[in-house]
Amino acid sequence: MSTQLWALAVVGTVVLAAACLEVFRSRRARARAAGAAAAPAAEPYILYFTGEGCTVCRTHQEPALAKLGAVRVDKVDAVAERELADRFHVYTLPTTVVMSRDGAALHVNYGYAPAPKLERQLAEARGAAMQAATA
Amino acid sequence: MSSQVVDHSALKVNQAGIIVTVLVAFIGSAFYRPLLVLIPLLAIVLLLGTFVPRLALFKQLYFKVLKPRGIVKPRPVQDRPEPHNFAQGLGGVFLAVASVFLLPLTVVGLALALLVAVLAFVNFAFGYCLGCQIYFQLGKRGLIKATGSSETTRI
Repeated sequence: MSTQLWALAVVGTVVLAAACLEVFRSRRARARAAGAAAAPAAEPYILYFTGEGCTVCRTHQEPALAKLGAVRVDKVDAVAERELADRFHVYTLPTTVVMSRDGAALHVNYGYAPAPKLERQLAEARGAAMQAATA
Repeated sequence: MSSQVVDHSALKVNQAGIIVTVLVAFIGSAFYRPLLVLIPLLAIVLLLGTFVPRLALFKQLYFKVLKPRGIVKPRPVQDRPEPHNFAQGLGGVFLAVASVFLLPLTVVGLALALLVAVLAFVNFAFGYCLGCQIYFQLGKRGLIKATGSSETTRI
């Protein structure tokens, strides 16, 4: 039985290390992608990076994006559009980027982002645009 | 992006098969050591299933038994099978390496096999496929031919 316990301890350590690495990687990528630019638009919009074999994209992310209603969502194949994916440091799929009207990245979400989170980020983007317009 | 359809129930049955087999080998070997043989057998099943899909034991169990009898309902999703096959092959390779270690260094062999089961569980429960993410990274770096649409689509 002690062999099994040691194996369990090894796996636990590996999983913990992988979780810490993921948190570090996500924070670093978010910091690097902040402010990255894409095309300007009339309203804040979402860049949605996806790709083949991304199951979560189809089963979770796309239904969440559909819940947002009349928001422009630009679906990007992260492999085909490599330059754009690299600009936003896309290392995992799905990745969603909430873009301001002037085409600057305001929020970058690596991994699945639920609809309420995206709605909150879009509301912030619209609020910032309103403030800029009234100032 | 893709017009192919993948039955995700077949993938789930495959993942459940991996989890159960590794757990039986892991826990059972504490009481009856020969059960460790399940790990190399599972490696063979996964690797065979990757290259010859009709020999994929758990998927065949789903298509020939579970689906026709209505035990597991089909869940077709617009998807591509290649990343899932790649992930299965990767699991098979890890289990093959685990099998090599089972006799000289049992702890390492069991840990590797358990890691495969943990990843299969994460995929089964949360839909996160690490093998598919590796496939994406390799495709992005041009190391494997991962096809995709070359345009940005507005949805």
